[in-house]
Order: sequence, then structure tokens, then C-alpha cells
Amino acid sequence: MKPTRSDRSALAAFMAPALIIMLVFFVIPVIYVVVVSFLKWNGISTASFTDIQNFAKLFNDKAFVRSVINNVIWALVAGFIQVPLAMVMAIILSRKPRGWKFFRTVYFFPQVISGIALATLWRAIYSADTGLLNGLLRSVGLGSVARDWLGTVDTAFPAVLIYWVFYVGYYMVIMMADITTIDTSYYEAATIDGASDFQQAIYITIPLIKRTSLLTCITLASVLGLRQFEQVYMLTNGGPANTTSTMVLYMYKKLQDTNYGMASASAVVLIIVGVIFIVCIRALFNIGNDEVRAQKKVRRAVK
Amino acid sequence: MKKLIALLLALVMVFALAACGQQAAPAQTGEIVINFPSIWVGTDSKAEYMGKLIEAFNAENAGAIKVVVEEQTDYQAYRDKIRTTITTGSAPDVCILDTTFDIKAYAESGKFMDLTPYLDAGWGKNFTDGAFDAWSVDGKVSILPFESAVFTPIYNKTLFEKAGWDHFPATYDEFFQFCEDCKANGINAMGQMAGDNAWSSMLWYSLIVEAIGGKDVYANGLKDPAFVEAAKVLKQMYDYTFDGAVSATAGDVNGHFIGRDTAIYLNGPWWIANFYKEDNAVDGKLLADECEVAVNPSYGDGKGNGGLVTTVQGFLAAAKQDDPAKEAAVVKFLQYVTDPTHVSELALSSGAMFFVKYTPSPDTNVISQKVTEVANSAEFTILHVNGAFPTAFSTEFPAAVSALVLGEVDEQGFVDMLQTAIDNAA
Repeated sequence: MKPTRSDRSALAAFMAPALIIMLVFFVIPVIYVVVVSFLKWNGISTASFTDIQNFAKLFNDKAFVRSVINNVIWALVAGFIQVPLAMVMAIILSRKPRGWKFFRTVYFFPQVISGIALATLWRAIYSADTGLLNGLLRSVGLGSVARDWLGTVDTAFPAVLIYWVFYVGYYMVIMMADITTIDTSYYEAATIDGASDFQQAIYITIPLIKRTSLLTCITLASVLGLRQFEQVYMLTNGGPANTTSTMVLYMYKKLQDTNYGMASASAVVLIIVGVIFIVCIRALFNIGNDEVRAQKKVRRAVK
Repeated sequence: MKKLIALLLALVMVFALAACGQQAAPAQTGEIVINFPSIWVGTDSKAEYMGKLIEAFNAENAGAIKVVVEEQTDYQAYRDKIRTTITTGSAPDVCILDTTFDIKAYAESGKFMDLTPYLDAGWGKNFTDGAFDAWSVDGKVSILPFESAVFTPIYNKTLFEKAGWDHFPATYDEFFQFCEDCKANGINAMGQMAGDNAWSSMLWYSLIVEAIGGKDVYANGLKDPAFVEAAKVLKQMYDYTFDGAVSATAGDVNGHFIGRDTAIYLNGPWWIANFYKEDNAVDGKLLADECEVAVNPSYGDGKGNGGLVTTVQGFLAAAKQDDPAKEAAVVKFLQYVTDPTHVSELALSSGAMFFVKYTPSPDTNVISQKVTEVANSAEFTILHVNGAFPTAFSTEFPAAVSALVLGEVDEQGFVDMLQTAIDNAA
């Protein structure tokens, strides 16, 4: 049925607030950031056009290149280690083993704690002289392994990254919610056919959540990985020697320097990297191709 | 009906958003409200007296002027907020700036009130001689240097005795002999930190730069060889500090000194009040009772004998006002805060130092008195490195120090990192 003029007016009225908000708080700022990325501007004096100098400076800056690499690693770890871990937990707990509600709460609990508080806690754990980790190592005779985890080039980035990988609760509950919507008859049939729990997970659960919650979680985790800030800021402030820096932290430091041109240029690079990631994830899950195939199918059927 | 509801919903949302930007109305009709975001709140050493001072000002000007303090206890968050408000053209009526802001550029921007006529009318006499020299633009003062700071080592006599020393090293050669003796006795000679803003290392670096390069060390930017030489000395110092100094923060440095395992402490005078806190006493003995004030050692054939590292710890700035009545109110408030009687009380309660001529209270603690003596006897002063260079220097400094200490770059590479940061921001 074709929408009437009245329907169209109502649709426009309902969509207007969201569109206005999107325009004001997203589209215009992004355009503004892109424009500023080509300017030399300290926020108070008159801005001047510098063509691509800000971008050239960015890619000549080892700290920025390191930040991009760190973010890519972070996003990959988030999407392809953290989310699969969450998926495993979701599949196990969805089978409702004994105490599943307790474990679900335990795994989700870190999500309700502020990231700043968690980073502070881990800072104390990693502390070189009074930290729990070094204390533990010394107590079991591994004192030679003890070190300044956040102050050593080789260990700082893994130390910042590793503890966070195990906070899987957020993605776990999303996938658990999705798993509960799967028709139980599939599992019943598989059980009758003699499929083990593992086989049921591989051949029923994962394929059925792959295009929904798993894809959502991988996208979310990767994007959050690219936007990492507070954890690094609190634990290392990008140090030592910029080895743990991320793009958002780099951008923040440029804002502190009132170097709005380079800050905006790094934001543009972040947006581009984000878009590349989303396109890759969609390609990996064959999203675009399937849609195109489906549309072609429909067109052929109509003909 | 549906259309009407949809339209109403849309309007409600738009007006709700618009309302977010509304400012609070003045408390009373005709009352001028001065908005003052402040870091001198919470646990800041000036918080208690500043709170009383503002309360007293509001009481004296009840119905006419009201200062509303926006409390911000996080220094970095405060800086970010002020920087953003100034950039977006909505600078607060009164705010506090420090050397992490590009003061000259801000003074030139025209966004701040020109205080010159008021200073020339007599108010300027309250300030120390030459206080405005470095910060005025074309003879105009729009940003007032208010809180000053000097940086001179303070040492723990008990730990010195334990290391076999009865005096503070007079030269850096002697300093490293002392460091060796400390190491042999399980004592950290001094606190260093490359985490956060690398504050302690920045101060030590400033002292060494001063000792080597003297009063004109900043004349040629980072090109003076003193900066590379000083980097060598700073790197060496990390051999005599506590474990984990590369990732350490100011809390770690303070904690080690309070915990009596670090012999020398370097920070601004605002920290002196902590020497007298019962919480920091051990076996009933105050930290102050164990400490003595020293001067920066001299460096071989360096040019810095008798010099002192200082900074402007806090500037007072007021946004340009269109309303003359409000401008007068803001100036009245600034004059009230910088009144020598009030500053004397503020200095006593906080231990901080100021660019205002005031008579120190006879109740001033011994360490503060000794620090003031060191300041008064200095033959010349230089700013600390963060204050002497653009903000990009201080942002890059922690990364450069950690790279230097971990061997990622050599001394020249350390200076190059800082120079590149400055160049990128220029």
C-alpha cells in the first residue's frame, strides 16, 4: 500500500527529532572536524589553511603510527579473542549448568564498575614495588620475572590489553539473550540424532547467532577497541615512550597542545580506520554480498 | 490528532534540548553573578582559605555581587574545561590558568579583560616588582600572575645520616657520590617519575638545566647544549630512585618520601603543609622535624651557581565583559583576592607563595621560611622547563623521559623528541 500524504507527514514528524539530533551532533561536527584537519589553528588565533601538512606530520610522527598500530591490535583482539571468549561463555551458560546465574552475574559484574576504577585497581596490581602481581611472583620464587609491568617497553601494552580481554560479560549477555531465542526443537532433533553438546554448539548455535548477535558483538568490540582511551590514560598515559598510546589519547594530547589541526587530522584517520574495520567485518560475514544476492533473486522472481 | 501529537512530541524534544543550554538565573534581581570555576577547592592547599574569602566577599557584597564557584578537583579536567570554554568563546568570568596554557597567545587573543587601567590606578603596587614583565603584551596586562613557586630540594636528615652524610651535596659530582652511599644503605636518593606528567623528573631536569646553562639557558630554545648534558644527568639519576619510577606518578614519589625511604624531595612550596601533617608523622615525629631545605648543587663549570628554578603556578584571568558594571564587579573581586592582607593569610594557610607584596605571618612554618630565604637569596631565577616552552613540550616530556631512561633514544634523541613536539605544534 502506498503511504498517503498524511502518513508521510507523520513519518517526517517522527523522524525529524532524530534526524535533527543526528545532523547537529554527528554530521555537522564530522564535517567540521574534516575542515579543521586542513587548518593550522590553536583555538584562539585566526586559522590558516595548510593543505595536507597536518596529515603529513601525523604519519611522520612515530607516536601516531604506534597509536594506529596499537588500536588495530586492540580492535582485532577485541573482535577475535574477546568476543569469541564471550561466545564460549554464553554457549556454556545457555545450557544452564549448575550455578549458571551466579556465573552470569560474576562475569557481568565488571561491566557495572567504572573503567576508571578498574584501571586504578589494575594499576595497583601492576605496581613495580608494591603491586600484587610482583608480590605473588616473588612469593612463589619467581622474583626474577617481577618487573615494572607498565614501565617496560615490552610489557606495557600487553599489560594494558590483557586484563581487559577477560571482561567478557557485556558481549556474553547479548549473545545469551540471542541464544535463548533459538527454537529448542533444533537441539531436541540434534540430541535424538546423537549430536554432542559441542556439535550442537558448532552446527546449531554458532550458525544461528553468527549473523545477529555475534556480528553485532564483533562490530561493537572492534569499534570500542578503536576508541580506547580511559584505560590507557589511567594506566600509562600512553607511556613508556608512547608504546601504549592510542589514537584517541594522541588526539587528546594534541588538544592539550591546542593543536586543533593535528587533533582533527587524527580524528579523521580514526574515522577512516573505523570505516575500514566495519567494511572488513561485513565482508567477513558476507553481509553485503548476501543482500545483493537476495535482491537479485527477488528481481529475477519478479521478472 | 496523530499529526498533532507527533508535532508536539517533536517540539517537546527540541525545547528540551534547547533548555540544556540555559544558564542559571541570577540569585536576586540586579545582583551581578560572577562565574568562577576553581581548582582551589577540595583537598587543594588553598581550598580552605579561598572558601572563606569568597564567602566573606559575597557577604560584604550581598545583593550586589555574588561569586559562584564551580568546583573542579581534577587539575587536568579543569585545564581541559577552561581551554575548551576559551576556544569556544565562552570563557568564564574568572578562571585560573597555569603555564600549561599558552599564556602569551591567550593574552594576545583579546578574549580577556584588559586590567592595565586598574593596575595603573594603584592596584599594581600590590604586586612584586617585574611580576607582569614576562606576561604583558604591548604593555597591556590581561592575565595576572598570582601564585608563584620556587623549586629547591628538601632532604631527610635522618636518611642522610644513615647514608653517612651530614650536609647536602654542593656539586653534582658530590651528589652522585651521595647517591652511591644511599644505594649501599638501601635508600632511594631521590624520587623520579616518568608516568602521568613526569612532574618530579621535569623539576629535576629543570634544576640540572639551570645548573649547567645558567640564566640565559632558554635564549636559544632547546639548542643550548645544556639540554643534552642535563639529559645525561637525569638518566643517571634513575639509577638511584625507587623501582618502577618509569611508570610512577606523583603519588608514588610523595608516598616514598613520606614513607622515609627516599632521601631528597623536590616539589613546589604548596606541598610544605604536608610536612606538618600528623598523618605523615612516624613514631610521633613530624616529617618537618626530619627535613632541611637545600639549594641546587652546582655543576662542574656550569653557569648556574646561585640560580633558582621558579614558575608561575597560577594566573588569574577574567573574560572580557561588555557590561561595565560586571567588569567593575569582576575587578573588585580580583582586587579582593589579591589584597595583601588576604594573600598573607592565604600564604599562611596553604604554604604557597605569591606575586603579591605581603608581610609573611610570624606563624609561618620553619620550612616555608627557609624556602623563602632560599628564594630571596637567589642571584637569578629561571622558569622550569614546562613553563619556559610551549605546552607541546610538557605533553611530550613524559614520553621523552621514559624513552631516554629505557634506552629507546639517546640524550640527543631525547631533546629531538621535545623539539619535534614543539615544531609540530608551531
